Amino acid sequence: MEEERPDPNLPAKNLDLDADLQKKHQAMLDRLSNRHHARLDNSLARRSDSTNSSEATSSFLSRFSESKQSIDSQLADSRLIAQSDPSRLKTHFANISSSISDLEKLVAENSYFLPSYEVRTSLKTISDLKQNLEILNSELIPKRKFSFKNKATTKKELPKEPEPVKSDAVSVTNFKIPNSPGFRNKTNVTLIQKFKGTEVGEFTLSDLDSCEVRLIGCCNAVFMNRLKDCKVYLGPVIGSILIEEVERCVFVLASHQIRIHLAKGSDFYLRVRSRPIIEDSNVVRFAPYCLDYEGIEMDLEKAGLSEETGNWGNVDDFKWLRAVQSPNWCVLPVNERVGKVRVGDLESGNEVCNINSRNLELAIKGR
Amino acid sequence: MGLLSIIRKIKRKEKEMRILMVGLDNSGKTTIVMKINGEDTSVISPTLGFNIKTISYQKYTLNIWDVGGQRTIRSYWRNYFEQTDGLVWVVDSSDLRRLDDCKMELDNLLKEERLSGASLLILANKQDIKGALTPAEIAKVLNLEAMDKTRHWKIVGCSAYTGEGLLEGFDWLVQDVASRIYMLD
Repeated sequence: MEEERPDPNLPAKNLDLDADLQKKHQAMLDRLSNRHHARLDNSLARRSDSTNSSEATSSFLSRFSESKQSIDSQLADSRLIAQSDPSRLKTHFANISSSISDLEKLVAENSYFLPSYEVRTSLKTISDLKQNLEILNSELIPKRKFSFKNKATTKKELPKEPEPVKSDAVSVTNFKIPNSPGFRNKTNVTLIQKFKGTEVGEFTLSDLDSCEVRLIGCCNAVFMNRLKDCKVYLGPVIGSILIEEVERCVFVLASHQIRIHLAKGSDFYLRVRSRPIIEDSNVVRFAPYCLDYEGIEMDLEKAGLSEETGNWGNVDDFKWLRAVQSPNWCVLPVNERVGKVRVGDLESGNEVCNINSRNLELAIKGR
Repeated sequence: MGLLSIIRKIKRKEKEMRILMVGLDNSGKTTIVMKINGEDTSVISPTLGFNIKTISYQKYTLNIWDVGGQRTIRSYWRNYFEQTDGLVWVVDSSDLRRLDDCKMELDNLLKEERLSGASLLILANKQDIKGALTPAEIAKVLNLEAMDKTRHWKIVGCSAYTGEGLLEGFDWLVQDVASRIYMLD
């Protein structure tokens, strides 16, 4: 900072200016170093002397491997505990699980200075640990066997309740949301929409009961909400499909992404470029896409869906983040599948053939 | 350690920004990050957990945390709040039905003290889809004008599918974060 020192030969006015400048400069430096220290304090609360980031990394790594070893040995103890005192197993596993989440937190806290390779490997290690815990958990603690229950049918009216409150929340913002194209509030009808030759954005199906829906051609996005006892046949969707609150339905869908929320007792025949996901759903079954109509190959091509990816069976259940198969979904057995579904774009309800309705009924009764 | 080397080190670190991407599921967060990074966006599965991407943007290094938006994992968002310089809230402008969900989750997020200093970029995504609301309409629905006056925010319409609007949004975010905390540059 020698160059900043005021030159004694300069006139007094300049000297003032320089002193001013120097003050500003000093303030900036102070601010910078304060910030630097604050960062260090935050991330390395346990280390008082470290200013070197590679030291910080190695200190993190040693802490990480220490915790990992202790978790490993705890995991190894599980079998002994299972033999000597099975009642302690649950708390033992809970302890391990909390140590793992502590470790995860440690990684998250330190991730801002860690090289991305270290972050990746640490995260991998953590997920391995979790998986080991899962495996032990399912091995050592006998799980209740999953079975379908006969639910009382009186529950049907319940899900309608919270809706009116929601629409109030929107009106607060004093903005009227326009209605998008779609089929809404229909019972017991066949609904057909042809997309050929028109530019279609999103399409909505909501509040349908015992309907059959056929959307022929490509569109960009489809939203489905509150469907009961419906059959839904969709041509390829270029973007994504979002499904919420459906019961006892059959869906034949092709899309880039498919998200299924709050579905019960429904079958999904899918072709999808990425992994379909379910959340808060149960008794849902999956099979490959089986729709046919005139010109479907071209539409599939257009949506990038001409090839079977096999993803229809790679379902992620967000309510079942474990290594073992989720009890909420399964693959639809081949002999219960509907076969090729051929739909025409004519208004006749007889166009859908080949549906083995007996099997469908059986499948639904089984729930 | 000399003063100069400390300053150098601070400066190197200061070039980093931590960006947190959140929003409802199906809004296109991962697609946006992949598109900005020039990666293939044709096969993206819904995010189970989170992704971290480090991207060089202008003279800064962005650490982008892209966190899954499914309802089940939204409660984990708060694990990522610490040290966030820039917050990106992604909206599916074509999902009219869930706009109230979207507003509620955003309101909750902005109450969070650990995010109070972060610049907020709202991306009104999926503008390529016919029938999508415009950014101005989204701003109305989300009632953005009523936001805390101290918050730096901007809403930008974009399409992760075509890439339109993404750079405009991130340019603003990076400039805003930089002008707030890296004045010396």
